[in-house]
Amino acid sequence: MTQASDPRGRRLAREARLFSRYLLRRDPPPEMIGRYQAACARLFPTPPEAEAAAVLSFVSRHAWALGPIDAVLAWREPEHDLRRRLLVMSAILEASPRFADLFLPPASIGLGRLAWRLARAGCGSAVKCALGPVVLAWARRGAA
Amino acid sequence: MTDVLIVGSGASAVHAAWPLVEAGLQVVMVDYGNVDETYAPLIPDEPFSRLRRTDWRQHVYFLGRDFEGVPLGRVRVGAQLTPPRRHVTADVDRLLPLRSATFEPTESLALGGLAAAWGAGVAPFGDEDLRGLPIGRADLEPHYARVAERIGVSGDGDDDLLPFIWNPPRMQPALEIDAAAEAILTRYAGRRDRLNGRGFYLGRPRAAILTRPHRGREAQRYHDMDFWSDAGRSVWRPQWEVQALRAHPNFCYLPRRLALRFEERAGAGVRLQTRHAGDGAIETRSARALILAAGTLATARIVLRSLGRYEAPVPVVSNPYVYLPALNLGMIGRPGRDRRHSLTQLTAIYRPPGAEGAPVVAQYYSYRSLLMFKLLKEAPLPLREALPLMRDLTPLFGIWGVHHPDLPGPGKRLALRAAPGGEDVLEVVYEPTAEELDRRRRVERRLVGFLRRLGCWPLRRIDPGPGGSIHYAGTFPMTEPSGELTCDARGRLFGTAGVYLADGSLFAALPAKGLTFTMMANADRVGTALGRRLTAEGGPPGP
Repeated sequence: MTQASDPRGRRLAREARLFSRYLLRRDPPPEMIGRYQAACARLFPTPPEAEAAAVLSFVSRHAWALGPIDAVLAWREPEHDLRRRLLVMSAILEASPRFADLFLPPASIGLGRLAWRLARAGCGSAVKCALGPVVLAWARRGAA
Repeated sequence: MTDVLIVGSGASAVHAAWPLVEAGLQVVMVDYGNVDETYAPLIPDEPFSRLRRTDWRQHVYFLGRDFEGVPLGRVRVGAQLTPPRRHVTADVDRLLPLRSATFEPTESLALGGLAAAWGAGVAPFGDEDLRGLPIGRADLEPHYARVAERIGVSGDGDDDLLPFIWNPPRMQPALEIDAAAEAILTRYAGRRDRLNGRGFYLGRPRAAILTRPHRGREAQRYHDMDFWSDAGRSVWRPQWEVQALRAHPNFCYLPRRLALRFEERAGAGVRLQTRHAGDGAIETRSARALILAAGTLATARIVLRSLGRYEAPVPVVSNPYVYLPALNLGMIGRPGRDRRHSLTQLTAIYRPPGAEGAPVVAQYYSYRSLLMFKLLKEAPLPLREALPLMRDLTPLFGIWGVHHPDLPGPGKRLALRAAPGGEDVLEVVYEPTAEELDRRRRVERRLVGFLRRLGCWPLRRIDPGPGGSIHYAGTFPMTEPSGELTCDARGRLFGTAGVYLADGSLFAALPAKGLTFTMMANADRVGTALGRRLTAEGGPPGP
């Protein structure tokens, strides 16, 4: 497992907190940070390429940029390193009793709630998607 | 001397073994035999929703010790192979190398073979499904009955699928279906006549899943943990039979051996060469007869290597398969139920008109226990927005798995290439004709239309590529009279005195309805006939 004391471990711990706040608006407990570090050591054994490293570094400095960049990558580059790391964090958050109710489906869903969810997801995504290309281009400047 | 050596421990191997063991013959089953020793002991026997809320170790088996349960690439073959099922495909890349630009199969070296993770669908073949083979439904019927008695089959004895999937005897009551499947069936009932008139039929699956206790196994618990756990053993798997066979003193299970080649010696039976998984030692065993039931592709390697037929082209067929993730609008406002099983909820059959050919089969799975992050991966949305949306959509979310029939053709073949100093490589070419591809797309478009009428709106079409169905057959088909690289009606390989095949290799073509149950019945038939022959002869079989 990557240790929290080494630079890579500290970077991954920051990522875990950033991603957890983005996904659930909650801080992850220490064991989930450790799990994210272990998962990254296993699933991403080599350092990210320059472009991905620049994007990861940018979102760690500007947390507000994560949403727009995630939105545009979801459309254009779903296999991007950032999306994959977000997915790993969401899997870790899901596979725990602590956040189970945020992932388990409701017993039923009515038309009104479904329409509200769709509208909200659509509007949120549209706004982020509109900003995304500019923010992503800005983030990528670091790799140039 | 051993009477019969059987290679493999999968669905075919165990049913070939039973009649031989019951006839009092000495049977040795040679198998690589990978098992899951990591995860099974960790999974509590609890419903999915309770585990999710209470088990602090769930990440170990849901995600895997090495996070092998977090898929990061495109949807591939075997997406349902969760960490506790991953042992099913372990060591295959290393020991059974395969090269192909057009075919991505799944093979197994596990105890139980691929059926250690199968979906348990049961669909006996009719005469039209066996067309071109020297056997018919009447030849298989007593063996279907024996296999059904061993494995336990549940299903609805009298629904619209009956003309296509006849009932094996002594079926147990059908499995309970979940609320999503009920919503689909309700809509179907209101449109039944019109849909039937256009060739579309829907019903509950026949499945090798118990709804009543049977032979030491328990009834389905409806914990929605069937992709993760075998608690209660309600879903039939070959390893339960291996365990039962081992109780007989004339049966021996030899794991950790990879079968390499056989050799026949006049009047002295068959010799099988194996390599030990641990120390790599080459071992040789002799028997009066040999049954190869290692799985279609693994059996092809052994046969071609043994006969020295490197480079010889051999036909292969595989059901084309696509996933149709769909939103089931009938679930809007309808309460779901926590009590459910994870496997097929419904089976649909579409018989295209006239020249369009044989029926296609679609199976409906409700989505929950494979976890939501896998849905998030496929959503073209930022994850912050996708997460609450997908959570609310999960009760509506289901997957139709569509199987097409497959026939042999010049573009579907395999050959064994020698690799001195290493493992021989199986090369597979699978290139269906443009006409076949067109037909599939046309049939799928019509099928999607029927599903929409049932309130299921497919969101996209996911094609895992040729080989994705995990159904392979047709390499050494039964023909009468048999010829080079074929088998006779009893499964005996042409040119051999005592080498029999008992797996998918024997079936020249694949109807859409799934081969496994028929393969098991045919293995029982091959084993029964061989048992009679050996008992009557009392010595090594002659030519």
